Amino acid sequence: MVLEVKKACKNFGGLAAVSDVSFSIQKGEIFGLIGPNGAGKTTMFNLITSMFPLSSGEVIFKEENINGLKPNKITEKGICRTFQNIRLFPLMTAEENVMVGVHCRSKSGVLSSVFRTKSQRKEEEQIRTRATELLEFVGLKDFAEVTAENLAYGQQRRLEIARAMASDPNLLLLDEPAAGMNETETDDLFQLIKKIQTLGITVLLIEHDMPLVMNLCDRIAVLNFGKKIAEGTPAEIQNNPQVIEAYLGSEEEEEYA
Amino acid sequence: MLAEFINPYYLQIGCFVLINIILALSVFVPLSTGQLSLASAGFMGLGAYTSALLTIQFELPILVGIIAGTLMAGLFGILIGIPTLRLQGVYLAIVTLGFGEVIRVVFVNWESLTKGSVGLSGIPHIGREILKTFKEFGFNPQSLGLQNNQFIFLSIFFLLLVITVFLVWFFRRQSRSRVGRAYAAINLDEKAAESMGINITYYKVLAFTQGALLAGFAGSLYAHVLAYISPADFSYHRAVDILVFTIFGGSEVIWGPIFGAIFLTFLPEVLRFISEYRYMIYGLMIIILMAVRPQGLIDVTIINWIKSKFSKRGVKHGSRSEKSM
Repeated sequence: MVLEVKKACKNFGGLAAVSDVSFSIQKGEIFGLIGPNGAGKTTMFNLITSMFPLSSGEVIFKEENINGLKPNKITEKGICRTFQNIRLFPLMTAEENVMVGVHCRSKSGVLSSVFRTKSQRKEEEQIRTRATELLEFVGLKDFAEVTAENLAYGQQRRLEIARAMASDPNLLLLDEPAAGMNETETDDLFQLIKKIQTLGITVLLIEHDMPLVMNLCDRIAVLNFGKKIAEGTPAEIQNNPQVIEAYLGSEEEEEYA
Repeated sequence: MLAEFINPYYLQIGCFVLINIILALSVFVPLSTGQLSLASAGFMGLGAYTSALLTIQFELPILVGIIAGTLMAGLFGILIGIPTLRLQGVYLAIVTLGFGEVIRVVFVNWESLTKGSVGLSGIPHIGREILKTFKEFGFNPQSLGLQNNQFIFLSIFFLLLVITVFLVWFFRRQSRSRVGRAYAAINLDEKAAESMGINITYYKVLAFTQGALLAGFAGSLYAHVLAYISPADFSYHRAVDILVFTIFGGSEVIWGPIFGAIFLTFLPEVLRFISEYRYMIYGLMIIILMAVRPQGLIDVTIINWIKSKFSKRGVKHGSRSEKSM
């Protein structure tokens, strides 16, 4: 078990954005988190990465309770994420963006950086090599020197994945990676996530593109109004009446519509 | 013949330019993590008074005084930096400005120690100390055809020049390293930086403290170059002056604050012949600049343009990799 979420709750004032959600993710699988807009999927990501504190419940990562750790500590433990609304460092080059991702796996301080000690030079070299590898991995090798803000939308999404992977995560959280992508780009993304899986990285994916989710995920959990309404294989989810109702509305409702 | 070219007045302006560059850096470094600090005048005062009092009262060597003054400012930097971490933009600016005023008011009112608004005089002078040391070793400036006065200012100027060049080199190196990338990441998107594993608390306090150390260091030097300080030297006006070096010159690259400090220290001297109007001209220039060029005079585009003039390779399209300082 890589990640175990136990009875996670998050209240914003009187609104229960996430209530009593539990699920667990096996090592090496691609786990989908789906649900209509406002179902609490991104909130769930923010709870796992400690961007928000849990109201109650537990998040257990590699047999360790990670509640209340700071987001940077969570990244150090091996969970890294991308953002629904791309949050790259816009004025940095693609390469620099990925190099920032390596931050928590490197350690040079002020003095060793300024005086360029032997170990610092070696580390800097390794960081650069790692960044180049990752840019190649996501297919952005030729764009290393381009600033993030000047990249095309689909490239920015892939750069975010490369940046997240730079922290050598065991668990990668992808928040709507296919949003705004055309069919070709989505196909490339499919291949990319499969490739990430073969590296032994567990993936937790939020996505609205149903064909992509159904083809890619080993298991899926469905959220609606902050509650988990179903969990299972893609086939099970597709035939679950509650899921169909959440997405399409119930028959009675349709009569009034 | 050398002597005819060395005018102590120009050398003194040169010394102020160099001290002001260090002060401009003290705003620039915290700003490179997105922290707009107006505390530089306060830290400068702390450094100046600490060093002046130690050297006057306990007759400690100037070097010890300067180190103590720098560290004192750094200590206050940590103390102010931690509680103000959550403050952003103008809120941080107001709190740090308030801190500077508190420091100044303490200097005015703690008369038994600081002599109040009269200020401290008779602070050991770096130049004269250097001259004394040289004379002990049997060196006489006259052998170079220099008068004592000329030698004093010349030695201070070169000392400050070496220090300033070192500091600029230091922060340029830092900006092109893991630390500099962390600073830039925090500046561009704090939440994303934190999610990528950067300890933002550590780096923001580090940058703020580096700013405090720089200002304290500049203040200690100031005290021993002028030999006289008073609370008025570290007032609100000083805080704004220091801020304007960076705002005017530009805060994207390290050359911005350096240019700002040089230009704005010379400007009032050049405008001396219309001295009544010079601050009006100064103000007007800043207003125009903010309207036309809010990022400051020197930005990444200009640096890249200059680079492309001097290198055959030119600048790759869309690249702004030199941005972090």
